[in-house]
Amino acid sequence: MEFRPILLSLKQNKFLSLLISVQVMLTVTVLSIATSITVETLKAWNMPSGLDHENIVSVRTQFFDPEVNLANAIVNDVNRIKQIPGVIEVTPNQEIPFDAGRPSKVYLSSEQDAEGFDTNFFDMNVDGHKVLGLTLIAGRFFNQTEVIQSSAEQATPVSVVMISQDMAKELFKDHSPLGKTLYLAKESQPVQIIGVYSNFMNGERLNGRGKSYHTIMRPQVIWQHGNNPNYLIKVEQGSAASLFEPITQALYQTPGRYIYGIEKLTRTQKRMYDGRGSQGAILLVVSLVLVLIAGFGVAGLVSFLITQRQKQIGIRRALGATKWSVIRYFIVENSMLTIFGLLMGTLLTMLFSYLMTQGSGQSFLSFSQVLYCSVFIWLINIAAVWLPARRAAKVSPAIVTRSA
Amino acid sequence: MLVYNFTLALRSLRERIQLTILMVLAIAIGIGLLITVQTMSYQGDKIPLAHKADKIFFVQADNRDIGAEPIVRQPFMTYLTYRDANNIINADTPASKHTTVWKSDVILNSFDQDVRPFRASTVVTNNNFFSMFDVPFQYGGAWSESADRGAEPVVILTKESNDLLFGGKNSVGQQLRVNALTVTVVGVMAEWNLGRRFYDESYRMGRKDTAFIPDTFAIKNNINRRERLDCLPQDRDKQTAYRTKDVDGLINSECTFVRLWAELPDPNLADQYREFLTQYVMSQKELGRFPRELNNYVTSLYTMVTLRNELNGSRNPLAYIAPLFFIVCLLNAIGILLAKFMRKSKEVSLRRALGAKKWVLMTQYLFEVLIVGVLGGIVGTALAYLGLQGMLHVQIYQSDYAVTAQALSHAFALDWVMMAKSILTAMVSSVVIGLYPIWRVVNIAPASQLKSQ
Repeated sequence: MEFRPILLSLKQNKFLSLLISVQVMLTVTVLSIATSITVETLKAWNMPSGLDHENIVSVRTQFFDPEVNLANAIVNDVNRIKQIPGVIEVTPNQEIPFDAGRPSKVYLSSEQDAEGFDTNFFDMNVDGHKVLGLTLIAGRFFNQTEVIQSSAEQATPVSVVMISQDMAKELFKDHSPLGKTLYLAKESQPVQIIGVYSNFMNGERLNGRGKSYHTIMRPQVIWQHGNNPNYLIKVEQGSAASLFEPITQALYQTPGRYIYGIEKLTRTQKRMYDGRGSQGAILLVVSLVLVLIAGFGVAGLVSFLITQRQKQIGIRRALGATKWSVIRYFIVENSMLTIFGLLMGTLLTMLFSYLMTQGSGQSFLSFSQVLYCSVFIWLINIAAVWLPARRAAKVSPAIVTRSA
Repeated sequence: MLVYNFTLALRSLRERIQLTILMVLAIAIGIGLLITVQTMSYQGDKIPLAHKADKIFFVQADNRDIGAEPIVRQPFMTYLTYRDANNIINADTPASKHTTVWKSDVILNSFDQDVRPFRASTVVTNNNFFSMFDVPFQYGGAWSESADRGAEPVVILTKESNDLLFGGKNSVGQQLRVNALTVTVVGVMAEWNLGRRFYDESYRMGRKDTAFIPDTFAIKNNINRRERLDCLPQDRDKQTAYRTKDVDGLINSECTFVRLWAELPDPNLADQYREFLTQYVMSQKELGRFPRELNNYVTSLYTMVTLRNELNGSRNPLAYIAPLFFIVCLLNAIGILLAKFMRKSKEVSLRRALGAKKWVLMTQYLFEVLIVGVLGGIVGTALAYLGLQGMLHVQIYQSDYAVTAQALSHAFALDWVMMAKSILTAMVSSVVIGLYPIWRVVNIAPASQLKSQ
């Protein structure tokens, strides 16, 4: 290979060579940082929900009048909502899918140092599984006698629970969870697992830890002033939006309350993802524009270098160099500059990621991303050289013999 | 001569117009992203209530137990207990005014059955709040001092909540209910463009508080405390009760939840105020309170916001990416410029041979890059405007349309300072990228290029 002549010719064009290397260095730095952050933010993004979320309505409501009898109000609410044409099932609930709050821990034994497993509890009545449209994987669903309906002061703990498929896999591996006991808190009474249902999304927090489908369903409807249940409502296909107003009216028949929000679960799902999604999208757009600009820049510089060396190419062709060897010459030359730039860029990337994470201490950089970006930029650069180099190779050998 | 050079520069720019456009675009795209990001942080870091930010002070005193964690980030240190806040307000201090702030959620409901109740993020405070923080009023005004003393059932609405409850009419003197309590409207605020909401230390930009009620009234009627409660370890199990039920327990406890703001007539009195606070804490130590070493802070609003900005500074990855992106764009522009200038070798060597001086050529090319720079700056500013609009809409999308474009637009507004900065940056960088190509082109030996052809 013609490394030596290339190096000598690079020495002739120090500034331009440096320009290409620096450009590659900065491009790979920006691209690596941007894609690393994007991959990190979009981890577990837009996963299957396991729900027919377009046809489930979620209502959040609260009572501000301390005189309201909550027990009656909840019974009335459920009955009134059920009577609305288009409503299929309704359940009081606390946590909302896609929006579950702080995770709880459950334990397999009552020992002090037992290992805790992250989960979210979903408290619903006997129709809960119908509202969410869950499939039974093993065991059975709750029956009416198992559901605890009570004010918070008088509530007794549930004795049976159902768990999701992923939860079962984490807790019991390949063994059947049916009939096994579980502790829903430290120093609590054990509960029995009676069934396993199909996975559905809990919320942002466990999603971020790779436990999107770890849920436990408790058969209970508990109320307390300042913390009364919300409602999840399964409606007929496509009728969700048109039912918001009738449902709101039905709930407002009980005075002393206000409705904080009514929406399809689709919208709850959007809210769960859209912060991360749009940040990722912005970074990706910026990266793409950057790659385009850098690609054009390298192509421009190379074509400038080549026009300057028309005569040299002509001489080499006249001395018997093939077209391919001319093209190869430029590709090798450019690749040397690119690889130098990529190495510098990797160092710069590490420096920047160090600076950026000083505050949080959480590193986002992944070296496989840096590697992918490097290879990608190298390919782009080869493409950027290829076109002008092919044009150069067409220089006729006779050009040198013409003038001067 | 200058005019001649200028026309030459213009002609040269027109000669290969595609290259000129490419160069302008390269600079413009770089500037566009850079100014977008910089405007966001410039608007985001602006000091709210700037004209008196050096006279408003935030008062903190550390009453926690000896084993409590050391203070790493002062702005996030605990607030004051109800008792201390009131003791300080009633003491003889250098401050001309004090106000306390804590937050609650109340349900505002009208007696008109057609108006549906809604939840209002509520500020619980005293009447000094409105004069200290220059709150503008559309109707009525702040409640009186006697309303504070008498725990009177009064409320101040914002334009937003007044629109919802009374259809935007002058509602002063009208009644409505806060939860189940009947209150009278004494004032309706006009649009209050605070920038960031500093008084509750949330520094939020979008959603605004929509109701203001007197502290004495809230305590008397046990309005719930939606606040960060910091209690001593032995009281932690009572925290939930303190939030919603046990208001008497709370105000006599060592739990902190009250922010105290003081206004000093002169910023130089801050040291006197600190002196006073030290003495106060020492006197409380004699009663067996404040077991730790002295951790008192009297911090101006200006300093509070600055500290806060520093803590939030490194969050946005775009803040790092944009400058690098800009440099890549400039490197591209150098390449194009070099290609363009080197094509002129023949012309330059001819002019030099005919006696043109180096500096004359230099001014011509300097004009050329400056024009490119100015054009790049103008197009870049336009791109930055589009970029900021895009970011604004992303922000609205992210908040699930809960905030209006109007409430956020100030945070994404391009003002004269940033426009000037944009064009100036473009001009300076165009000269910097022009240095090497210009140096190359004016150093071509006279007549050297005339031999061939």
